Amino acid sequence: MDAYLLAIGTIVLIYALLAIGLNLQYGETGLINFGHVAFFALGAYTSALLALKGWPLPLSFLAAGAIAAFSAVPLGFAALRLRDDYLAIVTLGFSETVRLVIQQEEWLTRGVQGLPGIPGLFTSLAGTPRAWAIFLTLLAVTALAAYAISLLQRSPFGRMLRAIRDNEPAVEALGKNPSGFKIRVFMLGAALAGIAGAFYAHFITFLTPEQFIPLVTFYVWMSIILGGIGSLRGALLGSTLLMFFLEGSRFIRDILPGVAEVQMANIRLAMIGLALVLFVLYRPQGLFGKRPV
Amino acid sequence: MVGFFNLLINGLIEGLIIALPALSLTLVMGINRFPNASAGDTMTFGAYAALGLQYAGVAFFSFAVMGSLIAGALLSWLCYRLVFQRLSRAPMVASLIAAIGIGFMIRSVIGLVAGHDLHTFSLPLVRAWNFDGIRVLPTDLAIAGVALALLILVFCWLKLSPSGRQLRAIADNPDLAKLSGIRPQRLMGMLWLLSGALCASGGVLLGMKAVVMPELGWEMLLPAFAAMILGGIGQPLGAVVGAVLMGIAQELSIPIVGPSYKIAVAFVVMLLVLMVRPGGLFGHVEKVR
Repeated sequence: MDAYLLAIGTIVLIYALLAIGLNLQYGETGLINFGHVAFFALGAYTSALLALKGWPLPLSFLAAGAIAAFSAVPLGFAALRLRDDYLAIVTLGFSETVRLVIQQEEWLTRGVQGLPGIPGLFTSLAGTPRAWAIFLTLLAVTALAAYAISLLQRSPFGRMLRAIRDNEPAVEALGKNPSGFKIRVFMLGAALAGIAGAFYAHFITFLTPEQFIPLVTFYVWMSIILGGIGSLRGALLGSTLLMFFLEGSRFIRDILPGVAEVQMANIRLAMIGLALVLFVLYRPQGLFGKRPV
Repeated sequence: MVGFFNLLINGLIEGLIIALPALSLTLVMGINRFPNASAGDTMTFGAYAALGLQYAGVAFFSFAVMGSLIAGALLSWLCYRLVFQRLSRAPMVASLIAAIGIGFMIRSVIGLVAGHDLHTFSLPLVRAWNFDGIRVLPTDLAIAGVALALLILVFCWLKLSPSGRQLRAIADNPDLAKLSGIRPQRLMGMLWLLSGALCASGGVLLGMKAVVMPELGWEMLLPAFAAMILGGIGQPLGAVVGAVLMGIAQELSIPIVGPSYKIAVAFVVMLLVLMVRPGGLFGHVEKVR
């Protein structure tokens, strides 16, 4: 039971890290990123492949964050100077393209067969102590990220982000250049997603392109909407609730025997879809937030 | 050279199919001002509706297609009345997220009801015409003909009918349109019926060319978005031209990058257009938030 709860807790923290990044991008700055999973996938595969080549894990984690951050730059240059909705479409396209490349370039990623045998974290420990070590490290990283971003929010940089979100023409009128700030925020969120991906890769130790479908992006959106957009605590709370939901849907199968895994995936898809629609219609501020979507 | 022409013809036909959802996207974008991400899954719905009618024993394929257009139109109208209409005053992102959610729901219901097996329409088998190695399938010609006819019909409606003119007025300036006595309610209903029928027809035609599966439309969404951006957002003619160019680009890229990278081609086209000419071929740059 301990192992199960720790595993769930670890996944919650990975989603929380993703949610913190997306919350910085959308909640603080108003960037609509519909391809968060792409940066997650890039981080996961970068770190996994480098570790398989024998890189020490701390270095491969850093590389994961860096690759994810720099992959955001061309997207930012293409879409951030324009209307908000372009970024949504472009990032969605990017996430599908990244998944396609992972699927097709078998020489690098082994494609749909998946990448097995990724070095795990803390292999010197075993069993429950190892699970605790992973969980606590991730907790420390997530807390650090949350703290750093809360500092950022209170800095002049953070004020500028909220100003961009609320009234971009006014920011321009003051002689500031919003796109520079936006690209930096976009990179920062992507880097967090990349690091979350690295944790995921070395926690699960097996990667396939199927783990990085667009639905994952909307899990993260769901968690920031659940928790209330624009609040850090909301991002953490939202990912916990999301995990309750995702894990809870597993137990539906115990109540309704004979439901195949494929059907379960469909039911989960339908429920996330319905939840997204109902939330934007009836509770745009999320369960606990104050500010509407 | 012969191979090139075959790819070109294929691309042209595929482009005409993409033009249908792209036109639907650009109309909704021009008037309701959000990218309707559920358009892809509405296509899938159209294909499955035609398939269902065919299984149910509708004798003529054209009747099944007609039924699927009606079903698609009604589905899209329902989505508008239940969801998008209520979000018309909310920020754009609310409609966008709702559209994604609706798309998920459509896809999952299709998956639950029809399963994930690949289906094909039962169509009469025909031999391809062969002009010195340039092969033309009569089915493909029929697909292109139907797509072209539908597009012409929509353009006639937009340009010649009073309601089409009113719709364009709303797209241009909603407040001014209201002031001059245009009542948007009825027109919005028509727009969403039309938008759904366009998507459903695109889905059926695509299903005739390939196989029907739950991801059919989702995979067409990005090429359709790319076509819309390439043509200039809110530009109906631009969407069609953009779609044909996209279709040809996708097919011509096959000898270079292989057939699996179609979506990636759409993405690259999108990025290039946004970097080089963000207004698209027919549009102008919009920097409003």
